[in-house]
Amino acid sequence: MIATRFWIRWRRFKSALGWTLSGAAFLALAVAMIQILFYVFAKGFKSLTFKLFTENTIGVGGGLKNAILGTLLLSGTAMILAALVGVAAGLYLSEYGEGRMGSLTRFLSDVLVGVPSIVLGFVGYVTLTVWLRWRFSLAAGAITLAVLMLPYIVRSTELALRRVASGIRESAYALGCRDHQVVFKVLLKAAAPGIGTGILLALAISAGETAPLLYTAGWSNYGWSGRLIHEPVAYLTYVIWSFIGEPFHSAHALAYAAAFLITALILLINLIARLLIATSPHGNR
Amino acid sequence: MPDPSVSLPKPERWPVRGTPLIENPKFQVRNLNFYYGDYHALHDISLDIAEKKVTTFIGPSGCGKTTLIRCFNRIFELHPGHRAMGEIMLDGENILAKGQDVHALRAKVGMVFQKPTPFPMSVYDNIAFGVKLYERLPRRAMDDRVEWALNKAALWEEVKGKLLESGTRLSGGQQQRLCIARAIAIRPEVLLLDEPASSLDPYSSLKIEALITELKADYTIVLVTHNMQQAARVSDFAAFLFMGDLIEYKDTDTLFTNPSSQQTDAYITGRYG
Repeated sequence: MIATRFWIRWRRFKSALGWTLSGAAFLALAVAMIQILFYVFAKGFKSLTFKLFTENTIGVGGGLKNAILGTLLLSGTAMILAALVGVAAGLYLSEYGEGRMGSLTRFLSDVLVGVPSIVLGFVGYVTLTVWLRWRFSLAAGAITLAVLMLPYIVRSTELALRRVASGIRESAYALGCRDHQVVFKVLLKAAAPGIGTGILLALAISAGETAPLLYTAGWSNYGWSGRLIHEPVAYLTYVIWSFIGEPFHSAHALAYAAAFLITALILLINLIARLLIATSPHGNR
Repeated sequence: MPDPSVSLPKPERWPVRGTPLIENPKFQVRNLNFYYGDYHALHDISLDIAEKKVTTFIGPSGCGKTTLIRCFNRIFELHPGHRAMGEIMLDGENILAKGQDVHALRAKVGMVFQKPTPFPMSVYDNIAFGVKLYERLPRRAMDDRVEWALNKAALWEEVKGKLLESGTRLSGGQQQRLCIARAIAIRPEVLLLDEPASSLDPYSSLKIEALITELKADYTIVLVTHNMQQAARVSDFAAFLFMGDLIEYKDTDTLFTNPSSQQTDAYITGRYG
C-alpha cells in the first residue's frame, strides 16, 4: 500500500516536472518571438507612410518602392528556379533514391543547408557576377538565392512523397499505370500540399536573406527596368543592413520600415503555408 | 506455455490431397516458388483457379497467402529482391514469362488491397482515372461507365449526390467499395481481393461479402482472408497454406466440414492461428 502511494506521488512529481520544463521552453520561445515582433512593429509602424510604396529611394531618404518590388522579384524568380530543380530532385530521391546516387544527393543537399549564406553569396559573386560578367544583376541574385532554397525544397518534397501511403502507389500500379502516370497523376497530387508548403517555407527563408544578395544583386536606387543581367536590383534586407548604420533619421526610419515589411511578408507566407495544409481538399481531416 | 496437444508436426511436404478437378481454369499455377531476397516464401505451389468462381486462400499470418495473390498481377515486382519462379498460366499464357506486357496483364487482373486506397481526387475521378488509362471515352460514355461501376460496387446510391467530393472523405467501407468500383471500371476479367474487409466494421464487411457473391457471376475472384467464417460464406474453393506450403485445396464445403489434413483441421477449428 505504502509503496503504491509512493509510486503514485513519484509519477505526479515527474509529470509536474515535465509540465514545468515544457512551459519554460514555450515561454523562452514565445517571449523571444513576441519581443521581436513587438519591437519591429512598434518602431516600423511609425515609419510607415504612403510614400514608402510609391517612391524610390533617394540617397538615404525617399521611399522603398524599388526595394519592395526588388525583393518580390528576386525571391519570386528564385522560388521558380528552385522549385523546378528541387521538386525534381525530391521526386528522384523518394522514388529511385535507394542506391548510392540517392544517398550522395541526400548528403550533398544536407551539406548545402549548412553552408553559410555569405559563402553562397561569395561563390555567386566569383562565378556569376565576375566570371560570367553578369555584374550585379537579377539573374545572379536569383540564382544564388535559388541555391540557398534548394535543399529545403528537396527534403520537403521527398518527405511529402514518402508520406503518401504505399498502398496508393501500389493501387496505381495495380490499375496498370506506367511510372510517369503514377508519379504525375497520383503521387504529386497526393503530396501537393506538403510540397507547396515546403516551397513557401523556403521562400520565407530566402525573403529574409541579405548575405547572398550583397555580392550578387548589389543595390539600386531605381526600379527594375527588365534586364536580367548588368542591372543591379534593390531589396529590403539591404536597407536594414546598410541604412541602420547611417547617422540620419530618415535612414533609420527607412530601415525600421523595411524590417516591418519583411517581417510582415514572412508572417504572411507562413500563414499561407498553414492554410494550404489545413484546406487541402483531399486530406483526411 | 503452449498447450502441447495443439502443437503441430513440423511441416514437411504435404501431398495436395483431393485437389479439386477444375473444369475451366482461369489460372494454372505450376511449381511456383517465391523468394524475398534469400527467404524462400512459397514452396512449389501448384493449383488451378476456377473461372467465375470465388477461390479463397486461408492460413495463419506469414503462411504466404498474400505473397501468392500478389503473383497473379505481378505487383510484387515493385519491390526489388522479390522474385517468383515457375509458371502462372492465364488463359494458357505464362504471365511470369519475360516479355509479357505487365500493364496489359493488370488491365485484365484488377486488385483491391487490405486498406482502402482512394486516390486524392473526387469520387468521379477515382473511377475515371483508371478508365482513361485504356480508353478515350466521350463525356457521356464516361458518366455512364462511372455510374455502372459504382452500381456494380453497390455504392451508387450512397455517393450519387457527391461525385465531385473527394474520395478520401468517404467512410472506410465506402472507400473500399470505391476501390472495388475503380478496379471494376476498367473491365477486368479477374479481381484479386487481399483481405478487403479486414480493416472494416462488421456491417461494412458484410456488405463487401454480399458484393463478392454478386460479382462472381462476371468475374473470377481470388480472395485472401483471415476470417474463417467469411471464407466459408463466400467462396467456392478454398486453399489452406501453411509456412509457404499448399497444405490442402478443395471445394469450400469439403475443406471446412471434412478436411483431410490434420493441420487444416486445427486451423479451421480455431485450435491454431
